[in-house]
Amino acid sequence: MAVDLDTCTGCEACVVACHAENNIATAGPEEAARGRAMHWLRVERYWEGEFPDVKLKFRPVLCQQCDAAPCESVCPTYASHHTDEGLNAQVYNRCIGTRYCANACPYNVRFFNFFNPQWDKPLHLQFNPDVSIREVGVMEKCTFCVQRIKAAEVNADAEKRELKDGELKPACAQTCPATAIVFGDLNDPDSKVSQLWASGRGEKLLEDVGALPKIAYLKRAEA
Amino acid sequence: MSEYAVQLTDDLLRPLLKTSWRFWTLVVLLLGVVALGLGAFAYQVDRGIGVWGLNWPVFWAFDITNFVFWIGISHAGTLISAILRLVNAEWRRPVTRCAEVITVFALIIGAMFPIVHLGRPWLFFWLMPYPSERQIWPNFRSPLVWDFFAISTYLTGSSLFLYLPTIPDFALVRDKTTGLRRRIYGILALGWTGTTKQWHRLESAMQIMAIAIVPVAVSVHTIVSFDFSMAPVPMWHSTVFGPYFVAGAIFSGIAALIIAMASLRKFLHLEKYLHPVHFENLGKLLLMMSLLWGYFVFAERLTTWYGNQGSEMTVFWQTQRLSFAPLYWTMVTVNFIIPVMILSFKRLRTITGCVVASFGVVLGMWLERFLIIVPALSHKYLPYSWGHYRPRAPEILLLIATFGAMVLFYVLFSKVVPIISIWEMKIGQHPQLAHEHETADQKAAMWRTHP
Amino acid sequence: MTAMYGLFDKPDEAQRAYTGLKRAGIAPREIAVVSGEPFEAFEFSHRDHSMILFRLALLGGILGFLSAVALVRGTELAWPLVTAGMPIVAWWPNLVIIFEMTMLGAIVTTVVSLLVTAKLPRFKKSLYDPAVSEGKILVGVPAASDTIRDALTSNGASVVKTVEL
Repeated sequence: MAVDLDTCTGCEACVVACHAENNIATAGPEEAARGRAMHWLRVERYWEGEFPDVKLKFRPVLCQQCDAAPCESVCPTYASHHTDEGLNAQVYNRCIGTRYCANACPYNVRFFNFFNPQWDKPLHLQFNPDVSIREVGVMEKCTFCVQRIKAAEVNADAEKRELKDGELKPACAQTCPATAIVFGDLNDPDSKVSQLWASGRGEKLLEDVGALPKIAYLKRAEA
Repeated sequence: MSEYAVQLTDDLLRPLLKTSWRFWTLVVLLLGVVALGLGAFAYQVDRGIGVWGLNWPVFWAFDITNFVFWIGISHAGTLISAILRLVNAEWRRPVTRCAEVITVFALIIGAMFPIVHLGRPWLFFWLMPYPSERQIWPNFRSPLVWDFFAISTYLTGSSLFLYLPTIPDFALVRDKTTGLRRRIYGILALGWTGTTKQWHRLESAMQIMAIAIVPVAVSVHTIVSFDFSMAPVPMWHSTVFGPYFVAGAIFSGIAALIIAMASLRKFLHLEKYLHPVHFENLGKLLLMMSLLWGYFVFAERLTTWYGNQGSEMTVFWQTQRLSFAPLYWTMVTVNFIIPVMILSFKRLRTITGCVVASFGVVLGMWLERFLIIVPALSHKYLPYSWGHYRPRAPEILLLIATFGAMVLFYVLFSKVVPIISIWEMKIGQHPQLAHEHETADQKAAMWRTHP
Repeated sequence: MTAMYGLFDKPDEAQRAYTGLKRAGIAPREIAVVSGEPFEAFEFSHRDHSMILFRLALLGGILGFLSAVALVRGTELAWPLVTAGMPIVAWWPNLVIIFEMTMLGAIVTTVVSLLVTAKLPRFKKSLYDPAVSEGKILVGVPAASDTIRDALTSNGASVVKTVEL
């Protein structure tokens, strides 16, 4: 994935889309104040400088699907592991909720179901049938909308062809009004995301930690 | 039997044979405390971990603090019992069983927490390697699975290490009781009579166990420290954690042992057997461990400070100067300053002095584990995701219940098993008779005094 | 069978009785010396010395080691899931499991060997007297005769009894 920090406006439409697509409940004001909000994708905001020379920087942070993910080696039940396609999979059924993966994640992109998720009516009618509801005690995180990936792959198989670049988009990429989020196959050198990676504007978040993240954040042009 | 042996047997069997209302009152009180903890746990299983104070990003706090704390306390038995046996230190005799009991029960309590802290605790058995119908095995790369193996091995080893030397004492109690008690102790004694072959085999087994249990104990707390050092969290990913935690564990274990021994001496009237010199010796060990602890903390902090890495320094200052500073400096005071001051001077190294220092150490070591976990988790790499933590009632109740459980187990154990090893104390009166002599000269000397 | 034993107050008396019984022609294996504490310094304890437990513990450790290697390698290859870019059969982390299971093998084997070689648990009647718990040392033989009685009493037995086993 590539996220263009220059075009991103920080509108957080991607955050809402992610909630809708992946059946993520809202925690409610009390629990959110206790730090139990679960935004698989969040927009981090940092203020720099003193008033009136204040600059605002924001960055959408989501699971970086690291190639050397520290969350994978510490899970005792293989609930967090790496797939052949390069995704970090979270298998809800195997998760016993030790929360070690969340501690190990340098990006803090893993979330725990402290309670059984609740939806106020009529939001309970709006579930995405392709995504399972997680029960209390289970970890969850961004999957790059693996349900969409699987659906597109199945379609492509049925039509006996390869997936086309841009054919499938995770909910965040689909919703972003500034098309700041670009998703694709890094193994394909002609895909848009590969080209963005090669553009030289790309930087990894927390590269020094060595988790080999797979999201390139494209630098803002300096004003 | 010598007069000493008669008195010894009487004194050490009295708690088994006579019970007062004070015992029952204490047991009921402790059961109440433990019940509160169990109730808190049931509440948490029913509603979810959300009833605790944990949040994003502080996913571990009291639960893992308690876990590491109790596993640490369990290192008492190993050092005293195994190492002192191996070096044939005679002063260990009244102390070994007290220490081994602490180990077994602290381990049991500590080992509950990997189950208690789970989001889905009813699935804890997935940590065990068994051929499941899901055809999947545990991930042996995970430090939590290492914990399972290490703690199981240590618990098995310590329980057996505790049980083996009780066999001759169970035989003694069997011979001195009647009825159902006699039958139960008879079964526990496994029909022990005391033939030369049985004694020799028992002592060989104890020797092997003592040799084996020391590396296991070292590995257990090292593996527990690996729960932290294997994760790339600022100030967790430290190479010193293995030895640091083992030293800290032995430190807290000796403190717990001193408190246990002082309590037993007072409440079971064991003044004849637990002498001030035993406390002095343990006090010297506690002093040494306090200095060692201080050394490790200094080495770790100095290295971090020189490294001056952004994320590490954030966590560093949190404990040194900012929100966790009061807890941090309390820890340094009760773990290092006060114990060193008390235990360095013979005049202060009395039973009371050692007990005061030990209480401080127990508090300080709990704080140390808390201060390793929470400041780091609440201040990881991305400042937007920093958080804070406040414990809530269920967690506090659980913590109190663990102390209640420990005291309860100890009280119940000393009611049914002689808390000092009677046969080993008897040997202590004439150790030269119990040990095989190496040289012909030694043998000849022995024959001269006992023709 | 009929057995005869004497109770002694001191271990050197028991040693003398033991020697006396040997001179009377009883095989050392047949002479039981039962006490409430070990007396390794005396000759009557030496006949049972053997290193068998140490050797068995070593064997147990080796068995633990082999089962651990089989467990980790076998299960990791059966379900080859990639985690953190580590190899499927990751030997460094596996060493931890292997160490623990080796030690567990040694420990459990030691205890089992103890029970087997010391013939515990043993609930059928054997040569024993509750006076042993009072500090007396029992020296006895699973046979009864006047020679035996003499050997026991002449070396200081405070009491000599005959029992049916």
